[in-house]
Amino acid sequence: MTRLSRRAIATYVAQQLTTGTDSKKVVLQLAAYLVDTRRTKELSLIIRDIQFYLSEAGSVSGVITTATTLTAETKKAVEKYIKQQTGATTVALDSFIDPSVIGGVKVSIPGRELDATVSRNLTILKTRFKKA
Amino acid sequence: MTEISITELSNDLRNAIAKLETTGNLDEVGVVLRVGDGVAWVRGLRNAGFNEVLQIETGEGIVEAFALNLMEDEIGAVLLGEDSKVKAGQTVRLKGSVLSVPIGPELLGRVVDPLGRAIDGGPAIKTKQQGLVEREAIGVMGRKSVHEPLMTGISAIDVMFPIGRGQRELIIGDRQTGKTALAIDTMINQGKQNTGVVNVYVAIGQKRSKIARLVERLKQEGVMDQTIIVATSPADPASLLYLAPYAATAMGEYFRDNSQHALMIYDDLTKHAVAYRQMSLLLRRPPGREAYPGDVFYLHSRLLERSAKLSDDLGAGSLTALPIIETQAGDISAYIPTNVISITDGQIFLETDLFYQGIRPAISAGLSVSRVGGAAQSGAIKSVSGGLKLGLSQFRELASFAQFGSDLDEATKSQIERGQRLTELLKQHQYLPMSVWQQVASILAVTKGYFDTVPAAKIKAAQASMLTRLWADHKKDMTELDKGAKPTEEILKSIELTALSTAKGFEG
Repeated sequence: MTRLSRRAIATYVAQQLTTGTDSKKVVLQLAAYLVDTRRTKELSLIIRDIQFYLSEAGSVSGVITTATTLTAETKKAVEKYIKQQTGATTVALDSFIDPSVIGGVKVSIPGRELDATVSRNLTILKTRFKKA
Repeated sequence: MTEISITELSNDLRNAIAKLETTGNLDEVGVVLRVGDGVAWVRGLRNAGFNEVLQIETGEGIVEAFALNLMEDEIGAVLLGEDSKVKAGQTVRLKGSVLSVPIGPELLGRVVDPLGRAIDGGPAIKTKQQGLVEREAIGVMGRKSVHEPLMTGISAIDVMFPIGRGQRELIIGDRQTGKTALAIDTMINQGKQNTGVVNVYVAIGQKRSKIARLVERLKQEGVMDQTIIVATSPADPASLLYLAPYAATAMGEYFRDNSQHALMIYDDLTKHAVAYRQMSLLLRRPPGREAYPGDVFYLHSRLLERSAKLSDDLGAGSLTALPIIETQAGDISAYIPTNVISITDGQIFLETDLFYQGIRPAISAGLSVSRVGGAAQSGAIKSVSGGLKLGLSQFRELASFAQFGSDLDEATKSQIERGQRLTELLKQHQYLPMSVWQQVASILAVTKGYFDTVPAAKIKAAQASMLTRLWADHKKDMTELDKGAKPTEEILKSIELTALSTAKGFEG
């Protein structure tokens, strides 16, 4: 049997989910395939790929990382921005607090990222100084 | 129509760009899946292009890599920095550009790495332009046939295997046969003869101490000001060794495209092929002959095709290439040597046996050839070069037969004797390139028989004496001859008389 690429598997699963196939059935199918082909280690990568194809179909899920707690208003504004940028119909963002970002915000959605954190700017600055 | 202020427009554009940059965008990102041996495997970045630069965000800054394997599920990228800083899970972004290096006259006199960063301890290099590391070679209509000589200052080459501007001439031979020495002498000659040719020396995996010695020598000879050295050492990652010749060619192309002349020395392409083989095997590309990947021919052909003589419409600049290949036990039929021999416009083959017999440069007259340089030879050199190559290879053949017996006829004896004199005459010390008039007068003295009474052992001394006398007594004629035109009867007469009178003082 030819080995299916992760991309092919993820596209198939995302297609099934968006066309209204019972998700439990799809999950079982995928699990059986991965066990049968001994590819269970690739599960997390396949899930990320499925997320990517679902976001292309208009259902975006992602993470907002900040140093301090985000207000509901800010979160809504970010969700609106993501909708505008991606043309998604539904956006679901989980908030995550990480003091190491120092300040600013980082929004990660499948395959794309907006990183306006202080820590990233410091990394860029560090690289520039190293080059000079 | 409203008047448009360019300054205002430029300022507005700059502000708009700065604003966009600080506002932040949803960038396409990928993730490092695994890393090792200078190769990072990245998931995501579906829009990455071949050779595009990727930026990996590590804790200690951004490490750059370039995408070489674009596969369905992942990208194989070769790191341009240390792989110890890169870890699985780190974010990768597209830089939005393919590899480019600084180019321009600001690089002259500097030693840089393949990314154009100064490694000579001098100030950072700031150029006005950037050049693409990988660039398509000039097309057919943009080229002109090779017709101007590129003097190496080494009589054996200039007379028998002339190199023209825009030509690719391979220097091939075993280790320790004087390959690099030939290239360095050619670089020095460009300075000594004021040819205006810019030298670009690419050291691929060369010891740093060797590069330091070379720089010192070039400074002593006063050539460093018209030289760029692109250096990589064995301690550098294979990616940098792979990039070095392409980056250096981009630097040389700047001069070619600005109606100037540049000389590229790739020292050496064997190490380059080995670095590429390492990268390819790590990228899991299928190995072929000698474990080299299938596109190892293209690796060198696309590089050397960039050397060209441009048409007058494009400014008539030129880029000449002297690639170097190291053979194992004189085997020129190995994979990489045959590839490069077939790509180039000729080769200068250096033989170990000749080297240890004291014939230096140890050029093999039989195996060396220049396919296009003849058209570029100046009138002066052409007037003395006829039949020299054939005569010398016949002599070497005869000489090896003569070892078996002493009963030789007079004609053979005289041919052997003249061959011995010629061989002695073509010996040349390192760092002492000869000008056109010196080469013409020396060759004439032997081939016309003026030095027939001088024993082979005294030929070099007689040559030095004759050249000194010629310069002292006929400076004007020799300066005229140096311009490259066919020597007049008057000049030929003065060379004959000086040579004959010099020979009297050195008779055996």
